[in-house]
Amino acid sequence: MPGMNSGVNVSDPTVVAAFRSTLLHQGLIALLIFVVLGLAWLGLRELLPAAVRSAARGPVAMSAEPSWRVVLRVGFGILWIFDGILQAQPKMAVGLPSQVIEPIAATSPHWVQGLVNWAGTAWSYHPLQAGAAAVWIQLGLGIWLLTAARGPLSRLAGVVSVGWGLVVWGFGESFGGIFAPGFTWLFGAPGAVLLYAIAGGLIALPESAWRSRSLRDLLLPGVGVFLIGMAVLQAWPGRGFWQGTTNGKPGTLAGMTTSMAPTPQPHLLSSWITAFTGFDEAHGFAVNLFVVVALALIGVVFLSGRPRLIRPALIAFVVLCLADWVLIEDFGFFGGLGTDPNSMIPFILFATAGYLALISLPEPAEERAEVAATAPAGPAGWRKRLRAMLEPASLASARVSSVAALGAVGVIVLGAVPMAAAQASPVADTILAQAVDGSDAPLNFAASAFRLTDQNGQQVTLASLHGKVVLLTFLDPVCTSDCPLIAQEFKQAGQLLKGDARRVELVAIVANPVDYQLAYTQAFDRQEGLDGVRNWLYLTGSLPNLQRVWREYGIAADIEPAGAMIGHTEVTFAIDQQGRVRYEMNFDPGPGTAATESSFAAELSDTVQQLLGQS
Amino acid sequence: MTRRVPVTLSCAAVAAAFLVAGCGSTSAHEGVRSDGGVPAAPMDTSFGNATSTWATVLMGGSAAQHNNFWQLFIRPAGTSTWKLVTPPGTADNGGLVLAAGAGPAAISAFRPSQDLTFTPLIQTSDGGQAWSALSPLEAPLASTPAALAVGPAGSLHVLALTTSSTAEQASLTAGKWTTLASARTLAATPAGRQCGLRALTATGYLPSGAPLLAGECSHSGVAGIFADQDGSWQAAGPALPPSLASQDLTVLRLVTVGNQTVALLQAGKGQAASLLVAWSAAAAGHWTISPPLALHGATVTSASFGPTGAVAAITADGAAAEIVSSAGPWHRLPALPPGTATLALNGSASDALAVHRSTLTVWQLATGGQAWTRAQEINVPIEYGSSS
Repeated sequence: MPGMNSGVNVSDPTVVAAFRSTLLHQGLIALLIFVVLGLAWLGLRELLPAAVRSAARGPVAMSAEPSWRVVLRVGFGILWIFDGILQAQPKMAVGLPSQVIEPIAATSPHWVQGLVNWAGTAWSYHPLQAGAAAVWIQLGLGIWLLTAARGPLSRLAGVVSVGWGLVVWGFGESFGGIFAPGFTWLFGAPGAVLLYAIAGGLIALPESAWRSRSLRDLLLPGVGVFLIGMAVLQAWPGRGFWQGTTNGKPGTLAGMTTSMAPTPQPHLLSSWITAFTGFDEAHGFAVNLFVVVALALIGVVFLSGRPRLIRPALIAFVVLCLADWVLIEDFGFFGGLGTDPNSMIPFILFATAGYLALISLPEPAEERAEVAATAPAGPAGWRKRLRAMLEPASLASARVSSVAALGAVGVIVLGAVPMAAAQASPVADTILAQAVDGSDAPLNFAASAFRLTDQNGQQVTLASLHGKVVLLTFLDPVCTSDCPLIAQEFKQAGQLLKGDARRVELVAIVANPVDYQLAYTQAFDRQEGLDGVRNWLYLTGSLPNLQRVWREYGIAADIEPAGAMIGHTEVTFAIDQQGRVRYEMNFDPGPGTAATESSFAAELSDTVQQLLGQS
Repeated sequence: MTRRVPVTLSCAAVAAAFLVAGCGSTSAHEGVRSDGGVPAAPMDTSFGNATSTWATVLMGGSAAQHNNFWQLFIRPAGTSTWKLVTPPGTADNGGLVLAAGAGPAAISAFRPSQDLTFTPLIQTSDGGQAWSALSPLEAPLASTPAALAVGPAGSLHVLALTTSSTAEQASLTAGKWTTLASARTLAATPAGRQCGLRALTATGYLPSGAPLLAGECSHSGVAGIFADQDGSWQAAGPALPPSLASQDLTVLRLVTVGNQTVALLQAGKGQAASLLVAWSAAAAGHWTISPPLALHGATVTSASFGPTGAVAAITADGAAAEIVSSAGPWHRLPALPPGTATLALNGSASDALAVHRSTLTVWQLATGGQAWTRAQEINVPIEYGSSS
């Protein structure tokens, strides 16, 4: 998938340091959000008399939040926070697309890969903003769910949880692999974050729905039906689960655990997984039979609706989930870049919530009626309640938890806005170019004069370019790797400059002591589509003349033996309108991905804008 | 509102459509290859003339193509020592194609690789001591050692076959490339139709300086060699014996050695395939043909040409054979040294050039000898990673 990999090392110190710095800055802003909200709340409480506050609070007729909803809200709130913390891993900024998203998508159909590639490209172009956005959105969501127990804010947290969950499920988990072969409950199907989204959907339901018998009756049987379906899938022949080994190679399950065992993790865990792998290889049929029977039985019991039977089945299900979580899913976050603890904990939460919903006592009819009466219905009701919430008196009367929930909304906005703004830019962040070649070196000296011939056979001197900003580099016209990339970076920089491009000259001088003739600069221009670029000059001259220019600009252009290409310095000089060298940029294009190419173009464009701004 | 078209009219229209289609098209079997390209051929080769023998071999031994480099070696006539003379200036991971004339002059083309899409050319007039750039061919050269030919001494022309099956010619002095023909235009000529030209596979020059193009024929028993006679392409291939009348023929190489043109041909396909050499002295049309060499299903991995018209071939099963002239049979050579990439022929002995990563080992076999003897070892300073 072309866009997934920016080519920059996942541990690149420049990006890691910048990611940490971004998180620190945004973390301080997040803290500030909570402090400002807290102070505003305290201030309003001081300003408004208690009577006004209690009037604003209105009639409090709500009964306790049902225990099953508490389990979902708190459980998934904690999971979101945990996921947010995992997103803050230093390697995440660069590594998520190539090391998390791409491997998951590898076995999915092309249309899924195309969709996922689009998102991965967006991330790899803006690793800092995307990485930080994932951290703050998930931390914010977690805090929001934990602190907003009741009312529109709580329901809204559920809605946002659905939205973000579906985004992560689709783009991050390739729809939990449901379109890929090998789809199985054991490996986490249908995707942990889909369960987050479903939980969000349940949390978003109105209070009247919480208490409806039908919803409570559906929750656990829903899990039961799903488990029976998974049991059928698990039993399906030809998917490699019945075999411990096939043709001397591990079967599907043993193959998965074999790949998990060597990942970095505590030795004890690794040895458990290795032992399980050996057991499955030896008794593949028995292991799969056990899984199929267990899933089917538990599913049937969950469907029965009989608490006495369900209680032991629930315990068995929790044990099965925990065993799977440790021995097969490897806790979900060990090894590589874990983004969540996978699906078993969410399944436990769902089954527990379903059980609690089933055994909870029905509420008195008058209480239900009272709740229904206090809750305005429909979109108009929503608007009315939100407007009422934002009135000073309502804010002053709010609980600490509501203020914290509002702060959590602020944290989500804090992560989402920079990412959205970054997405509006067509080019990659310059951090990628800096990761490859370091920062620009500021200079200030007169550029060496030259008289050379452009691709059209016209004489060009440096003096003739005065009044324009000159980006000057040295390119080998028959180079097979870097020079075409650098040329494209120049071309793209010219496009980014738009109207300012007429005040800029993009200049390359031949850096090849063998193939320096006009025919080669012309062929190179046609190859790179530069022959129609107005402010592009590819200059050459006699070999002695070129050698003098190379010497004065500190360029090596050496003939290498045995079929190797010319070894030459890859550097770009930014020369201001007065003919002075203002920046020297290392210009090795690095991995040459679309992301780094775009990043270098952005760096060139930024440098030009800076010099134009100084004139 | 729709109007019903009479059934008879519909049938007539369908029949007419079939008729028109039939008139205006050729069957897939007879047409030029659908991809329009030149079939790739193994690039390890050697060529000898009166002054020297040149050999190109792939070295490096890396799984990554951009870490394997083609090397050019020369052995001056009368010596037994090989020298590394790989031309400078361009990374040659994509292939090095050499066209040598009668003397120490030669032209080498660098097949494009990675992001390079055109073909740089370079020439030497002193056996590879010094090189100077020629105007590049602004298209990728076909992946065959037969894709480049240089005119006989004094003609100052070079002929190149591109991957898209177009023959381009340039004058060494003017440096401007012009299109001579393509597989499609050649297939439409009477000579091309007679052959049922599928693809172009080789270029060459007659000793007279007339350009030659060769290819793969779909009509059995026809050798697709074409000479440019005053702007029109004429069939110039050998007349084949009746025993080959039912065989499809492909010209693998065309080489001008001194005053004769040598063509290496493959007859038939698969297990029935055999190798033939045809020699034409002075002018096209008077060919002598070697007996066939059965390939037993193996493909040719390298072909070598000696200064007097001798030809040697190595096949994928590791076997090698040599033929000196049409008057004699093919000689099976003793088992080749491990890693042999190509053979080099001279009057009195054959060399086997064996490659192991960056080391070239030269093994020699005296005429009629039964064992190869180690003669020379050259360590090539390959710059791994330089094309990354």
